[in-house]
Amino acid sequence: MIQADGLTKYYAQHPAIVDVSFQVEEGEIVAFLGPNAAGKTTTMRILTGYMPATFGAAQVTGFDLAEQSLQARRNIGYMPEAVALYPDMRVHQYLGYCGRLQGMGKAELTERMDYVIDRCGLSERASSIIGTLSLGFRQRVSLAQAMLHDPPVLILDEPTVGLDPNQIVEVRNLIKSLAGDHTVLLSTHILPEAQMTCERVIIINEGEIVAEGSPQALTAQLRQAETLLVTIRDDDGTVARQIKNIPEVVDMRRAEQAGSYYVETEVGSDLRADISKFIVEKGWGLLELRPVEMSLEDVFRELTTEEKGVA
Amino acid sequence: MRNILTIAGKELRSYFTSPMAYVLAVFYLGIIGYIFIAIFLLMPQAQTEHLRDLIGSMLFLTLFIIPMLTMGLFAQERASGTMELLMTRPVRDWEVVIGKFLATVSLFASVIIVSLSYPVILEVVAKVDWAMILTGYFGLLLAGAAFAALGVFASSVTSNQIAAAIIAVFMLLFLWLIGALSYSVSQSLGDVFKHLSVLENYQDFSKGIIDTKNIIYFLSLIFVSLFLAVRTIENRRTV
Repeated sequence: MIQADGLTKYYAQHPAIVDVSFQVEEGEIVAFLGPNAAGKTTTMRILTGYMPATFGAAQVTGFDLAEQSLQARRNIGYMPEAVALYPDMRVHQYLGYCGRLQGMGKAELTERMDYVIDRCGLSERASSIIGTLSLGFRQRVSLAQAMLHDPPVLILDEPTVGLDPNQIVEVRNLIKSLAGDHTVLLSTHILPEAQMTCERVIIINEGEIVAEGSPQALTAQLRQAETLLVTIRDDDGTVARQIKNIPEVVDMRRAEQAGSYYVETEVGSDLRADISKFIVEKGWGLLELRPVEMSLEDVFRELTTEEKGVA
Repeated sequence: MRNILTIAGKELRSYFTSPMAYVLAVFYLGIIGYIFIAIFLLMPQAQTEHLRDLIGSMLFLTLFIIPMLTMGLFAQERASGTMELLMTRPVRDWEVVIGKFLATVSLFASVIIVSLSYPVILEVVAKVDWAMILTGYFGLLLAGAAFAALGVFASSVTSNQIAAAIIAVFMLLFLWLIGALSYSVSQSLGDVFKHLSVLENYQDFSKGIIDTKNIIYFLSLIFVSLFLAVRTIENRRTV
């Protein structure tokens, strides 16, 4: 449904994105994850036909964004990053305007307008002037206009920025419920959001795609060691050295809390039983022993701070 | 066509939801009314031919009014970020430009139609040459449309409304004053300047003469300005 082939975009001499290629299949929800200024918005602006790429090509629903821009744009619902609406219009007026520009007929427009107003929780604000709405409501209006013409492809640039926690959950659920019928590409710099709403994550950093896959696959791919967290009551200072002597233990370092250590062991090994037995036999007082999962957050940090790619 | 009307309708409505349209209309009609009173009530020797001067001064006012109407058309969309959504709609760039242009022209047309009430009032007490008046108004509308086109172009090059208005006023003043230069340069160059002058091309209309040469002048001004506006909009690489 969405296909990007070697997209490169230069602003003056400075490249915003370099050779970005990816695909989003029909019905998928994909997160475009990256720190600020990584090139997410630039990529989305190219995919929505707002501006052309310097090199490379993009297709949405089989239409090339450079050659058949109008057909492609008809099939896209776009929610830009900055919630930019006309402050002097009323919500229903604005949606009506958007619908007419999308070429919707009167009957269809009325029906879809009622639907999106309801789905986005705008029923009580439908005749409010947009300029008087809170950011949360304006965000919903922006989402409503993206969904209005029932586009097969939705491109949402940071859809939950500025919302309160309850609204965030609502919007995420709404996006999730679009899966299947719609193809969704959403950008975010919030990791749990990507993890919760999306089946697949594309991580972009400094204009280049650095990793791609399901959240689980990405964490597995990057894991170089199994990590255990061990907490000991009576730490006499020799614990670290002694545990390190166990074969299969790769590394041992202090955790934040006193008496706690991260024990890294070889990939695929499970030394919980051996280590607990060892500590109990020494009589150090074992308080805690648990495996530490690498979160998507760690993956993200690893990929975007160091220059390490797995894709 | 539908897209053009949708955009024109939206812009027209926002003229009326902001105080812009009212302020400018009152200002415009007020000054014209003042000149009207000054000519016909305070000058005992006034002739109905003086209406020509009235229409002439309307054009000069138009030169300042139109840029204020057009300054926001694109500049504001750029500044507020709504441009991005507008340009990702399945709408052609020229449809957006023409729609906005038509909104300004129709607002201007309705204001000058209201101002027709002045000669109608005069008709009560004197014989008015309606052929001359209507020709003058036709010229005024045509010139106003040309000003609006230039204003649309000025608004498309910047995201600052004030800058857009200033650019438009200066371009219009240049086209207004270039005729005056024609007397201080050589004959042939002077002719070129005269042909480029808004005032020279408008004067025939105010005398009650419709000349295709003048119509073509204003139509080309509209066409070139709107064309440049479309090209500017198309080129959003740097925005």
